[in-house]
Amino acid sequence: MQRITIDPITRLEGHGKIEIFLNDAGNVANTYFQIPELRGFERFCVGRPVEEMPLLTNRICGVCPEAHHMAAAKAVDAVYHVDIPSTAKKLRELLYMAFYCTDHTTHFYALGGPDFIMGPDAPVAERNILGVIHKVGLEIGGKVIQMRKYGHTVVEMIGGRKVHPCTSIPGGLTKGITEEQRLEIEKMGRWAIEFAQFSLQAFNDIVLGNPQYVDLILGDIYAHQTYYMGLVDANNKVNFYDGKVRVVGPDGKEFVKYEPKDYAANIAEHVEPWTYLKFPYLKNVGWKGFVDGPDSGVYMATPLSRLNTSDGMATPLAQAEYEKFYATLKGKPVHQRLAIHWARLIELLYAAEHWVELATDPEITSPNFHVIPTEKPTEGVGIVEAPRGTLTHHYWTDERGVVTKVNLIVGTTNNYAPITMSIKKAAASLIKEGNVNEGLLNMVEMAFRAYDPCFGCATHALPGQMPLQVTIHDASGNPVKVLKQFVD
Amino acid sequence: MKTLIIGLGNPILGDDGVGWVVAEELRAALAQSRLPGSSSEAPEIDCASLGGLSLMERLTGSERAILVDSIFTGNKPVGTVSQFTLEELPDLSAGHSASAHDTSLRNALAIGRSMDIRLPADQDVLIVAIEAEAVYDFSQELSPAVAAAVPLAVQAVLNLID
Repeated sequence: MQRITIDPITRLEGHGKIEIFLNDAGNVANTYFQIPELRGFERFCVGRPVEEMPLLTNRICGVCPEAHHMAAAKAVDAVYHVDIPSTAKKLRELLYMAFYCTDHTTHFYALGGPDFIMGPDAPVAERNILGVIHKVGLEIGGKVIQMRKYGHTVVEMIGGRKVHPCTSIPGGLTKGITEEQRLEIEKMGRWAIEFAQFSLQAFNDIVLGNPQYVDLILGDIYAHQTYYMGLVDANNKVNFYDGKVRVVGPDGKEFVKYEPKDYAANIAEHVEPWTYLKFPYLKNVGWKGFVDGPDSGVYMATPLSRLNTSDGMATPLAQAEYEKFYATLKGKPVHQRLAIHWARLIELLYAAEHWVELATDPEITSPNFHVIPTEKPTEGVGIVEAPRGTLTHHYWTDERGVVTKVNLIVGTTNNYAPITMSIKKAAASLIKEGNVNEGLLNMVEMAFRAYDPCFGCATHALPGQMPLQVTIHDASGNPVKVLKQFVD
Repeated sequence: MKTLIIGLGNPILGDDGVGWVVAEELRAALAQSRLPGSSSEAPEIDCASLGGLSLMERLTGSERAILVDSIFTGNKPVGTVSQFTLEELPDLSAGHSASAHDTSLRNALAIGRSMDIRLPADQDVLIVAIEAEAVYDFSQELSPAVAAAVPLAVQAVLNLID
């Protein structure tokens, strides 16, 4: 049996290791995507006051601390059975829209976009944001930096700190915003709408204008028929901060819609012997393995899932893009994973539009941004949509509000099974009878890059570029060929 | 030369938080040693959990940066303190992560410079790295070998700014 190892992966947060096992005929028998799990978070939290959780959990992940802060804040409100004032909800949501604009922008221009803008066959040294700037023009780099700056500014104004917000507490927020700040936030939001439209236009021109890319998106290599999950509002429109969790089947019909507190009745976790990370699946469908179809409980939670799960977008410009998306890709749900990149840009536009809606809401500068919780704390669930999937925090406390138990299902974990399936499918299409297509590395990477995964959830940052190394072993396990990228 | 010292890492992820501990010790050491009325510009010290574009954005305006971080090469004893510039980062695969969600710091700095953002040159981004081991377990404690390396890393930074 031949063994191919891809270790680790470029441009992926944290560590990942892909092992590809071939059968005697030299075709893909199985693939394993292994991620070292961060351990001991529950042990770390037990015994601490639950109101510390929004501060602690935003240190779990270096990529989406704002998402953890929000899910934790909502879970802590639920623990104290407190309904926070409308202004507090709107301020949190406004912060969250600014974060979404930053995060989706970074993913599209730095992580996923280069595959399309530079082309899947471009040398790896050029397939990054620098290459994008050289190809599209200096202007685009300036816009990306500006978008990030505005996002960080709003997070700091409302959240008290850049990147790691600290103002959400049980019952609301520790501070509000002034009229002067509101004006500034509104101005930045209007710029963000223009930037999102510019980004969609760039996608339209560069990707949709190239038949080769459209074929790649619509092709079978990157398609899976699974269930989809996402938060929706009362009108079944996409919502990042609040609402019910809706799941649709591979046929696009609603399978279930549930309150966040009922997640455990709907989601179970499958364990495999080769990885510490668990695979969440739909409990009421059941685990049937890494397979497509209505009988398999595998579901996906990504920007594409949120679009598939909803009946539309809650803002007018994003709604128009939503309609164009399904008209172009011919039907709903869309199963092609590379369409996640496009869905992400539609969400970017929604986030920018909603940013302005919230910034112009008469309540947003109200001093009524906190109520004092009076109920005895027990347990609570908070769910938000992290950019890369549905994020669930569940805390239990004693009567003093001291944490006794914690359960988290983080955004990317939802997608562990579909990512594993996508890697296998991409590898199988590129390895035939022992011949490894030269494009293997990037095509396999493209399979999971669309999901924007961040398994490591660690915030460490020794500067450098992640290397990519593929080792091909012969039937006896001896390495016969080593392919490297970014390893000097 | 306007110098910015940043302790990098995750303060609740065991040895990964060593950069933060070194930065705090440095803050105390510099406060003690600094004479009143000293004319030289004091280095700014910060702690951060950033990489790539975000780290580049934090370096804006500085002429020289000293980054203190954990490193996992797997071929040096735990607690070994090493020192290099971003330009001569010995093995690009050496960092146990590059916060690779966006891009490498080197790429990010190149982007920033192309936008006319004032940033230190690669050879003026100095890295003091401490070989770490326990970076997958949530904890606010350093392992003994890494804790023992903190004074050495502090001294390494002091030598650089002297």
